[in-house]
Amino acid sequence: MDRDAVREKSLARYKQERDWFALLREATKQVPGEEGRLQEKLLTILLDSKETVVDCVENEKPFIAGYFCNAPELFHAMDLPWYMLMETPFLAASAPYLLSDVEGAENMGIGTDLCTAIRLPIYYIESGLMPVPTAVLGLLYPCDGAPMLHQVLEHNKAWQDVPIYSCDPPYTSDERAVEYFADELRRMADFLQKHTGKTLDMKKLVEVCEESNRSYTLWQDYNELRRSVPCPHGWEIGGAQAFAISQCFVAGDPRCTDWFRQLYKCGELKIREGKGASATEGWKERIRLFWFDIMPYGWIFELMPWLEEEWGAVIVMDMFSNFPYTLIDTSSEKTIFHGLAKRNLLDAPMIRQARGTAENFSNDISRIVKDYKIDCVIWPGHMGHKDGAATTGIMRDTCRELAVPFLHIGLDLFDRRYTSPDEVREKISQYFRGMGIG
Amino acid sequence: MATFDEYIEKVSRYVAEMRSRGERAREFDHPGSPEKLREGLPIEVGPSANPGIILRSDSFLELGNPEAGSCAAFLWTDRPSLIRDGRITLFGPGIQESAEASLPFGQVLMVGGDGLEPEDHEKLQQAQHVADQIEGYMVRSASQNLWSRLSKDVAARGFDFETLGRALMNLVKTGAPAVSAAEVLFVTTSKEDIKRLDGIISGAKEVGRNILKETWKARGYDLDCDFDCASCKDQVVCDEIKDVIVARRKKAESDESRGSSSP
Repeated sequence: MDRDAVREKSLARYKQERDWFALLREATKQVPGEEGRLQEKLLTILLDSKETVVDCVENEKPFIAGYFCNAPELFHAMDLPWYMLMETPFLAASAPYLLSDVEGAENMGIGTDLCTAIRLPIYYIESGLMPVPTAVLGLLYPCDGAPMLHQVLEHNKAWQDVPIYSCDPPYTSDERAVEYFADELRRMADFLQKHTGKTLDMKKLVEVCEESNRSYTLWQDYNELRRSVPCPHGWEIGGAQAFAISQCFVAGDPRCTDWFRQLYKCGELKIREGKGASATEGWKERIRLFWFDIMPYGWIFELMPWLEEEWGAVIVMDMFSNFPYTLIDTSSEKTIFHGLAKRNLLDAPMIRQARGTAENFSNDISRIVKDYKIDCVIWPGHMGHKDGAATTGIMRDTCRELAVPFLHIGLDLFDRRYTSPDEVREKISQYFRGMGIG
Repeated sequence: MATFDEYIEKVSRYVAEMRSRGERAREFDHPGSPEKLREGLPIEVGPSANPGIILRSDSFLELGNPEAGSCAAFLWTDRPSLIRDGRITLFGPGIQESAEASLPFGQVLMVGGDGLEPEDHEKLQQAQHVADQIEGYMVRSASQNLWSRLSKDVAARGFDFETLGRALMNLVKTGAPAVSAAEVLFVTTSKEDIKRLDGIISGAKEVGRNILKETWKARGYDLDCDFDCASCKDQVVCDEIKDVIVARRKKAESDESRGSSSP
């Protein structure tokens, strides 16, 4: 397909997704109280980002496709709209067309052993369902699957002339590696300025990073609330939403900080009222879980509510809610890029686990189990996270030493057919019963 | 194998420098068993001693906010004579005189025990992890920085750094009975002093990481690599590459020291 045909088709799909979220936002207006306002604010930020991309496509303004771990503060400082190449599986997995998209990818012949989160954007690109940007920021890490997506871009008729830049990730995680990656981010900024016509103003970058720091500080404050027993929120609130707001839309925007303030307020209210994750009459929190991966967004409504209601099991912490971040030192250009490099090379979720050394698995589990009073660690074993498969032994040994049960499931976070929700529920139930948990 | 002895000695020199600079040092002495350390404390210490969380509005004091300055280290040795058992040293303002403050905070916890080995490192680290074990004292769950809060309630009961030091020493002696001596240093003077302390102890983190790597390797796991060494067909090549890297590093260090000793 040529670019004009892709433009029309992709815009229609992008608007369809935008409309799906607009519908969700309308629904949140019916939810009373502070939590309703929280969800409404989140969806407003998301929708504003999508509208901006639509505007760019329709009016031929510059915008890019990239990732949450490409230092999105830089995009916001340049006033450069963007969308995430793996946006749909990460953010819109509840959309009604997701399963047919997965089937479409299979019918196209894309190998089913490739992570679904990567298969889907390949399908969208090859089917003309993804808006062609002015420039692309690629991702050569954390897994072998990610670079494959960019090989597809380079061969696709509509995308092959789009300039692409990928930061080179060093193998180690020491100071030298961070400095190296900081230079890569500088080169990335130069690339963006060259190909989009936008300018990176250092004063504006300082403002954006300081605002980002305020958001992250509030995020960390909120995470401390989740240590409370009962945990004030379950899978639906806080957690992965915090990751999305801080890194997937307009990183370093005051609206994000406002959302985090609202999140903290909601959490503190629940704690003062002594309330837990579920509003069901007579419900009690019985099991505190650490879900060590992305949530199973493709079929989340078939698992998470069941966990809470059937077992009183609450996802107190998960991989994307985990907070290993440090604040960005904004005292100079050097310290800013150093801080951004550290955050995006070492701290961002999945990057931290899949690119980082395996001790991250062990250290994070140890800290979280103790601080959050975790009763069971679940390694979902997503089919696309084979990088973590060999680390399962380390995780299991760590949990043994902590005397906390460890459950390894084996599933696809986006495709319910891989291991059916019924099988997953049965496996979890048997494990809880066998271990005498809850 | 590199140990922490060098860092324990560096901390000792840091303390001497602080004194010679005229910084007032407050010292408390509480040698002895975990039971003795707990005696007479105004708070509970042990699992679930701090069952809830401390909200901002219930905080008396904050320690180690990164903006104010924060650093921490845990050092151990198989030479207990390097440690003065029970000593708690404080430079800077104490807790009772710092209501509503956000103090810079440096903490170095040093322990010693005959026969302590690298295999004990992970267990020792776990033993000193506070979690919910000190009533009224909550350390933020972060993989970097030691950032904590103290509740108004325990501050009113007289909680101070002597209390915190005794609690920490109790935890580590209870969790790791092989520890026969424990000592703590607290610094709350200034961000610059914390930065200087951090510069001294930051190398210890690398030592700790290397110990962990070797310990896991002995169990059959290579932390630098996601694959299982025992079944990996590239193990021979991988081991050779590592040998080359080690040899190059040694050569670089030797070249550097020859270069620095040249006139």
